Amino acid sequence: MSFFKDRNCYLKDYNLSIKEKLLRFNFSYLFLICLVVFIGIALLYSAGNGSWYPWANKQFFRFLLSLCVLIAVSLTNLRFWMKYAYLIYGASLILLLAVTLFGTVGMGAQRWLNFGIIQVQPSEVMKIAMVLALARYFHGASLEEVRSIKYMIPPALIVLVPVALILEQPDLGTALMLVFAGFGLFFLVGVQIWKFILIGILGLISIPILFHFLHDYQKQRVLTFLNPESDPMGAGYHILQSKITLGSGGFFGKGFLQGTQSHLNFLPEKQTDFIFTVLGEEFGLLGSLFLFLIYMIIIGYGFVIAARCSNFFGKLLAMGLTINFALYVFINTGMVMGLLPVVGVPLPLVSYGGTAMLTLFFAFGLIQCVNINQEMVIGRRGSIDE
Amino acid sequence: MIIWRYQKAQSIAHRMIVLAVFFLLISFILIGRLFYLQVFQGEKYQLMAERNRVSIRLTLPPRGNIFDRNGVKLAGNRKTFQAIFTKEQTNDVQKTLDSFSKLIPLDAAERTRIEKEISRKRAFMPVRIKEDLTFDEISAIQLNIPDLPGISIEEGFTRFYPEKDTTTHAVGYVSLILEEDVEKDSPLLDLPGYRIGRSGVEQSQNEWLKGTPGMRKTEVNAFGRSVRVLEDNPPVPGNDLILTIDARLQKIATQAAGEESASIILLDVHTGEVLALVSTPSFDPNLFNRPIPQNVWNKLINNPKRPMRNKTIADIYSPGSIFKLVVALAGLESGDITLHKQIYCSGKTKVGNQQFHCWKREGHGHLNVVEALQHSCDVYFYEISQKIGVDKISAMAARLGFGSLTGIDLVGEKAALLPTRKWKEENRHDSWRIGDTLNLSIGQGFLNATPIQMAKMAAQIANGGMEITPHLVKKRTEIPSKKLLGLKPAHLKIIQTGMGLVMNEEGGTGYASRFNLNGQKMAGKTASTQVRRITLKEREEGIKSQDELDWEHRDHGIFVGFAPLNKPKYAIAVVIEHGGGGARSAAPIASKILKEAIRLDMESSSLSLKEGK
Repeated sequence: MSFFKDRNCYLKDYNLSIKEKLLRFNFSYLFLICLVVFIGIALLYSAGNGSWYPWANKQFFRFLLSLCVLIAVSLTNLRFWMKYAYLIYGASLILLLAVTLFGTVGMGAQRWLNFGIIQVQPSEVMKIAMVLALARYFHGASLEEVRSIKYMIPPALIVLVPVALILEQPDLGTALMLVFAGFGLFFLVGVQIWKFILIGILGLISIPILFHFLHDYQKQRVLTFLNPESDPMGAGYHILQSKITLGSGGFFGKGFLQGTQSHLNFLPEKQTDFIFTVLGEEFGLLGSLFLFLIYMIIIGYGFVIAARCSNFFGKLLAMGLTINFALYVFINTGMVMGLLPVVGVPLPLVSYGGTAMLTLFFAFGLIQCVNINQEMVIGRRGSIDE
Repeated sequence: MIIWRYQKAQSIAHRMIVLAVFFLLISFILIGRLFYLQVFQGEKYQLMAERNRVSIRLTLPPRGNIFDRNGVKLAGNRKTFQAIFTKEQTNDVQKTLDSFSKLIPLDAAERTRIEKEISRKRAFMPVRIKEDLTFDEISAIQLNIPDLPGISIEEGFTRFYPEKDTTTHAVGYVSLILEEDVEKDSPLLDLPGYRIGRSGVEQSQNEWLKGTPGMRKTEVNAFGRSVRVLEDNPPVPGNDLILTIDARLQKIATQAAGEESASIILLDVHTGEVLALVSTPSFDPNLFNRPIPQNVWNKLINNPKRPMRNKTIADIYSPGSIFKLVVALAGLESGDITLHKQIYCSGKTKVGNQQFHCWKREGHGHLNVVEALQHSCDVYFYEISQKIGVDKISAMAARLGFGSLTGIDLVGEKAALLPTRKWKEENRHDSWRIGDTLNLSIGQGFLNATPIQMAKMAAQIANGGMEITPHLVKKRTEIPSKKLLGLKPAHLKIIQTGMGLVMNEEGGTGYASRFNLNGQKMAGKTASTQVRRITLKEREEGIKSQDELDWEHRDHGIFVGFAPLNKPKYAIAVVIEHGGGGARSAAPIASKILKEAIRLDMESSSLSLKEGK
């Protein structure tokens, strides 16, 4: 931390003690996050036909590990992330490149890097790394700069290069999330609305061209999404069964462990992408609304923390990660309700899966870090200027 | 430099509000969707989830047995064994099928059906490989079961008719249920081996015989494997049925008919019980237990003697001279003739400018009513019918059951046609002419009748004028009919005497077929009906002998009768298609059956006398 110490520090928040940091830690925010995880573990217990195995137990231990990561990350100095943002982004890009070259194939796509003991999913890491890099880039940008097209070329590349690599894997869901998160940040820092409209139009025009480059299974998914009843036993099966599971829960649900659709395996991937329907089936509209409200509050907290933060890096970091989280929620629930095609986006904090949980907790650690350091002033180049 | 910072902070704050509103909007859409799916469409999806979850499988109920009046089994259920194959129990389907076909050959069509079914059904669902295994086949499979992974033997049952082709048209047959038999998507269609009655009492009493399928509701998982039983109702077997027919008389009648295309009905004159109902040629109803081979089927439906048809109730014939019984009765009842009134037959009579011939060209001379019946004189009836008139003849015929259903408990009975003045005006747009009356008087012309109607008429004349309803299903107590037709017993006695003369007096048309079994005799009336018109040219050239004609151009032979003569118990009707005349073809058959019926009666009564001692 020497690079800002040698400057003339006049602000008291440079060196917060652990105690001070803990005092600024947002415990209700953490509580809501843990609540969602516990709901998730209960659902995994049900999905395992009323058993801790094979999912709920593992998820619980992942939660404990992730919780440690969250706390550790929240206690770091925000300037550290500012300083190493590009480095982290670069490293993630290399990992992403490595996965295209040497990655393990799983579920029909190359997503994993196998390091012997642990497997890493670089696309998950990239979700944070890209936000870090963009937050760093836009931290010192003035509105005039943002409005110039030339200035916007590097951040566009920061988004598009990993998106291209991830599409290559192929992982449409993650790629879309990166694009939308990038758009969100561009929007926040003040890129003119007409540019978004222009890109939107261009995107619509290019859909048929892009569709041509999709893999067959992806094309099928999109087509099935448009008309799921056309093939109820084949590709439409997921969507139809998902809707049946959710809808059959009714207002009050069938009761915990009483879901027939999930317990009799009519629901594919019930422990991962479709876990929201297990909640809907067993706890009805009340249960699914409850979870949805918690999600909205968590997202709201992200907005508040970002709004309170006095430095742009923290603001943009918290917003980027919150947008990312919101996208998870919206895409997953939209998908299981039959509003979006099945693109393979898990329900955050609930779906079974280690990497996703760890990355999410890491991101929440960063948001907590922003919260703790909300009064910190960071200069245009990462130190204190002006 | 603070200014750009301030402007930027303002811009971000502004844009954050826009973004927050946007997110709220998305949230409301998603919440709305949740409401729609879980509340508005909740019931629909609950139903779909239930349909996913619950599988209903029916189990076959055994069909009721059918017995004859003496307890002889006419239809029952036979245990069968079938080889079934379950895919999940083997890793090489082809190898198992190959080794199976080494033991029991499977033809190419069967093999493709099996393979198709295996690939279509889920791995744990059994597929039928071979039905109705013989004992040798079962032991061959049992011995080689280690080489036949996935093959197992399953018990089932099929319908069995021990009397084979002798009881076919009375009992009927069953065959596998088809889509057109039930309403759409009936679960019965998925019940392998479920059969329904196609003819005879199997068809008319199907509801009584069929039983109720068992229903097993199980919870199934996504792969269709059942997880637990929710509800299990065992099948309820069908009710047994006792018929009025006598298996021994069925056999006798069938044998008596020989190769002829015949309808034979034997009735109890007092109760209307059908003791024998035979339509020949017949077929073995056991044929329909399994898919019937095409060539066998073609043979059945292309046979000109129509073995598939129950001619006793569904075919109509001109009754011919047996109708003279009705005309005579009508005359006696109306007073237009009396027992002693004689009429002269010269061999022909002229009505208007038309010549009507008697079958005997040289004429019968003077005849009274019983002699007219004995010789079946046409001229006698031409003469009296003009006096009686069509209305009274038709009315009498209707009273005896012509022109309406007898009400026999079988499906497919025809009412046939009894012409009246009104009928002709309405249907032929022509007035009734005297020639029509003359034709009617000898049972020709528009008139026709089913064999069962003829039998009913004979029974009602024999029982002293009580109305009966022929029936095959035995009632708990069969009581003699007391329903009077309102005919004078003395007049019926005259008719009965005439019928007695036919059989037992020299010159009677059925004299050659008479019998005398310990004093028991029979009575009857013959008829021969032309299947085509005799042209004037043919009449001039001399009528050809029946043997010279092609089978399908020969006359139908018809006979109705009863026995014993003095105390009638049985009535019979026999129709031999193209038999070449009633006296020649039908009377001997009727005689044989009545004689056997009386002989069986005597045997059983002497047996019961012995037992009484």
